[in-house]
Amino acid sequence: MSELEDNSAGAVSIFMGNVRNHGKHGNVLEIYYEAYREMAEVKMREIENEAQTKWNIKKLVTIHRIGSLKVGETSIIIGVCSEHRNEAFEACKYIINNVKTRVPIWKKEISVESQKWSDGILLG
Amino acid sequence: MRTDDPANYNLKVRLFAILRDVVGEGEITIAVPSGVTVSYLETEILKKYPQLKSFSNKFVTSVNCKVTSGDTIITSRDEIALLPPVSGG
Repeated sequence: MSELEDNSAGAVSIFMGNVRNHGKHGNVLEIYYEAYREMAEVKMREIENEAQTKWNIKKLVTIHRIGSLKVGETSIIIGVCSEHRNEAFEACKYIINNVKTRVPIWKKEISVESQKWSDGILLG
Repeated sequence: MRTDDPANYNLKVRLFAILRDVVGEGEITIAVPSGVTVSYLETEILKKYPQLKSFSNKFVTSVNCKVTSGDTIITSRDEIALLPPVSGG
């Protein structure tokens, strides 16, 4: 949280994405996340920079985990520190929406019966 | 295609997620002549790995971490990857 501390800021918004116990293919035990790490890091910095251009953000943290994560574990954390709450909320929403559609990360849902890559969004 | 022709070279292509699973390797090598486009490379990949044909409209090709159009010219120094639809978050 120290990465999000700023005495000139009155708002910190945090979004956490967690592994759900169910998906399109039924009950989920865990999710395996894979990334094209080099490109993912470039794209995440690009999205962060866009957010910082759009809103007056004091501090910003985006972390996406990869590998196998069990139900309830956190796959992504986004933290935005800003002067007022609206820009923190809006920036958080912008970042998660764009991470989901623009960053080369893939998830495979693992259940007792099967292991299936999730349907996704084709990069443009 | 002769790979010993100096005009030809072996290009490494990274595969991710379902594409890697289908091919069984995270990196493949394709022999191409110099000055080829992304479209040419994609055609050669599908010839060598026909199991990817059912995914031909379900991936994009990145060159040096940027998604590119089919007419982009590839050089031997470029880092190429095939990227299926993303699902992070």
